[in-house]
Amino acid sequence: MSSDVVIRVEGLGKRYVVPHREKDEGLRARVAAHLKEYVPFLRHGEDDYFWALKNVSFEVRRGEILGILGRNGSGKSTLLKILSGVTQPTEGRARLKGRIGSLLEVGTGFHPDMTGRENIFFSGAMLGLSQREVRARFDEIVDFSGIEEFIDMPVKRYSSGMYVRLAYSVASMLRSDILILDEVMAVGDAAFREKSQKSMEAAARDGRTILFVSHNTKSIMSMCTSGMILGNGLKLFAGTTEEAITEYQKDLYADDPNGKRGYGWKDLDTSPRYGSSSARVLTWLSMHNAQGVLSEQFFTGRPIRFKVGYRNAVPNQAYIAILIHNGVGDRVATVNSTHDAVGVRICGDGYVECVIDDLRLGAGTYTVMVDYGTSLGRPGTSISKDCVANAGQFSVALEGYLEGVGLSETQGAAHRSNWTLVPSASFSVDATEKSNIGL
Amino acid sequence: MAAEMTTMSSRIDNPPLQSSEEHLIEAGAGGISFGLAELWQQRELVWIFTKRQIFVRYRQMALGIFWVALEPLAYLSMMTVVFGMLLRVNTGKYPYAVFAFAGIMPWLLFSKATTAAANSLADNMGLISKVYFQRLLLPVSGVVRELFDSAVVFVILVLLAWIFGFPPTAKLLLAPIVLLYTSVVALAVGLWLASIMVPFRDIRPLLGLILQAGMYATPVLYPPDLVPQALLPYYQLNPMYWTIELFRWLLLDRPVTYTASFGYSIGAVVVALLTGLIVFASGQKRVVDVQ
Repeated sequence: MSSDVVIRVEGLGKRYVVPHREKDEGLRARVAAHLKEYVPFLRHGEDDYFWALKNVSFEVRRGEILGILGRNGSGKSTLLKILSGVTQPTEGRARLKGRIGSLLEVGTGFHPDMTGRENIFFSGAMLGLSQREVRARFDEIVDFSGIEEFIDMPVKRYSSGMYVRLAYSVASMLRSDILILDEVMAVGDAAFREKSQKSMEAAARDGRTILFVSHNTKSIMSMCTSGMILGNGLKLFAGTTEEAITEYQKDLYADDPNGKRGYGWKDLDTSPRYGSSSARVLTWLSMHNAQGVLSEQFFTGRPIRFKVGYRNAVPNQAYIAILIHNGVGDRVATVNSTHDAVGVRICGDGYVECVIDDLRLGAGTYTVMVDYGTSLGRPGTSISKDCVANAGQFSVALEGYLEGVGLSETQGAAHRSNWTLVPSASFSVDATEKSNIGL
Repeated sequence: MAAEMTTMSSRIDNPPLQSSEEHLIEAGAGGISFGLAELWQQRELVWIFTKRQIFVRYRQMALGIFWVALEPLAYLSMMTVVFGMLLRVNTGKYPYAVFAFAGIMPWLLFSKATTAAANSLADNMGLISKVYFQRLLLPVSGVVRELFDSAVVFVILVLLAWIFGFPPTAKLLLAPIVLLYTSVVALAVGLWLASIMVPFRDIRPLLGLILQAGMYATPVLYPPDLVPQALLPYYQLNPMYWTIELFRWLLLDRPVTYTASFGYSIGAVVVALLTGLIVFASGQKRVVDVQ
């Protein structure tokens, strides 16, 4: 292959066996189904299989950062697993030149009972660094993570933020010609994400080749030099980053012919939930922009509209609340149906609509939690009955609402502010003003 | 922030390795390779992995590493009370406690190492499904970990034998070979089971039962003279029979009668190890998909 092509993938495919059905009754049927799953020659028709990846071919040149876009189940992770050698393809081949480093999770090989120091050595070893290399870079790793004081403490006592920082710091030591990353950058706080993004860009400038998988178009946009879209295991598109992102978003809308399902619309019937009763009241959630179009992309200072479907809601004092969390799991907003002085009578089957005129969130990705319960309309009287913790996700962009350094999801609410320069002559507060402010 | 950025970029400015390695990933590729050469390349990782397992096992225990000795000693006391004092098993001129310990020690090594190797893939699926390394290092380091424990127990055994009037002799220098052989037997069995264990967790409790039965089918707690003469040739096909007999010879100078079964059992171990390596090499390719 040409000297510049570092990764060449030809007709790669991966087939999995469909897990045995629960409907099989009786011990014999269960054993037979179990055996069929693991003993190859007992399987027959194509029905028993499912292709996670099919006939995927592409090339990556030295120094390229290829962003791979795709929704859950599109085959992204399968592709990375094959390329990093964790699993084998069913058909096709891939040729990779140079040392491969892969980060498919944060904290590979971390053990909760071991100290930060011990985990650095072990994780480094698992990622392919020799102990000598880790020792030489140990101080840098600790420095980068910024948790010197806790380095000899078992990592189970770390906060999740500390854990992630340490894990990423080890990973950033990885020196390889080809780097395979599975959304590991999407963790940690904003400052840390920025650090890791810079480190990726610099790595690519050094001639390292990076494969980066994400369903976050924003991080793909800011980091990658080219893009590829996977859907249902097939390569749908390959081109420049911009083209790929445009195509990806088009695809998301196209998948939504009758305005239901998929983008901006979430079925809550089968979502995991908690609450004081076993009733499943919440049925679906949808998110709309100012024009009422389903969306998962919103803008600071502009409207966002939620609709929440319910059934069998109790007639009295029912409330529905929308709770918004940022990427690190902190609550950034609570919007409750009892906040509205007019109020809504949630009862029986139907849906409620909640309009927020000016979204006061910084740029980032948020998770929506939907909660249903009863309350007397006073503080402290709410009882949650049905709550879906991860009902949906949406992204927010500032779009000029705030200028300058901007505002990320971890920096609190977005407030427009007016700043005036106070001339230094009037800096000394005069006597009348002093008395006014109580000095 | 600015300072952080500088340290960070200094790190990244390391030139890439531009290594000449080439990797070919292909469907059904590679034929059958045992992975032994790769394991040798990754020997540092085997050692680190073993060390971690030893640390992790004793870290959160108040008595820590003392459990290595406490467990077999407690077991020995129970067996001595039941078989030595109540059932009065006749061990000739050898005190029961030291006779039994010379059997329990290698048996525990075998039983624990087999379990460790057999469970090694199933217990480390988290790691296997996220990062590539030669999978063979998992069962191997499981066995090495047990070998470490049994080295400690071995020292206690030598001291105990001394107390009972069997001072150490030069023959003890052969003990490492016998212990290593025991580990190989355990590895062979473990390799066979490790990849099958992942989809069929039923093997885990089954193995426990079989090992329990195996202990009674091996002269661990009683002398082999109790076995009917007619059954002896079959009874002696058990590789652990020879390990334990040899151990008693090393420590207590108890004579061993070699028979043809000794050769057969070694042959069986070699075959089991080679086939075990093949079963493992082909099975480990699929474990991520069937977990």
